Amino acid sequence: MLGNQQVLQQLNRVLTHKLTAINQYFLHARMYQNWGLQALNDRIYKASIHEMKYADDIIERILLLEGLPNLQELGKLLIGEAPAEMLALDAKLQRSDIDAIREAMAICEEQQDYVSRDMLNHILDGQEEHVDWLDTQLDLIEQMGVETYLQSKL
Amino acid sequence: MYVCLCKGVSDHTIRQAVDDGLSSMRELRQQYGVASQCGCCKQCAKEVLADALQQKQRRFAQESLIDTDVCYA
Ligand code: FES
Repeated sequence: MLGNQQVLQQLNRVLTHKLTAINQYFLHARMYQNWGLQALNDRIYKASIHEMKYADDIIERILLLEGLPNLQELGKLLIGEAPAEMLALDAKLQRSDIDAIREAMAICEEQQDYVSRDMLNHILDGQEEHVDWLDTQLDLIEQMGVETYLQSKL
Repeated sequence: MYVCLCKGVSDHTIRQAVDDGLSSMRELRQQYGVASQCGCCKQCAKEVLADALQQKQRRFAQESLIDTDVCYA
């Protein structure tokens, strides 16, 4: 089934965001693990796997629409040097991903590609949940101090 | 945060380098390899560099202001 060019372009744009997030979360997760912060590793490792599943959905959708999924392009990774900074940078990345998904959804709607829109909506749901979790962590760090917070993440 | 991941250069490193006299992207590339591999970090490095230079200038202006005060006092 031949897809609309604008929709394909948007799907590829979101794909780039997701490929970037996979890598950023994966590296952050393993940095946490290396520091013995197992709970943070587990959570962020899972986030990376989720991103991979979203990327897979988008790739399949682009192929179905007879487009070419661009797996070559990758955005800038926002890699922190300490846990609090890493969580804040993940939240920053996640927010820009949410913006990109919302824009893509608007174009899908305009071009009446409701299936692509629904797929993106499902992804958006997961992203909002993750950004909410990240914000909560940042609030906790502010309230209890980073030392105490990290002790609960061993 | 790591500005250039290919070469492992953080924003702290860049700020420190600016304090030590570095002032251009060319120097940053020559001395630290920033933006010499994939190039992804170029924009980010430019922003960090500009900000570091501005902060340094502001600090410098403040210091000379204090000095003048001291002179007049
Ligand atoms: S991130 Fe700086 S050259 Fe690749």
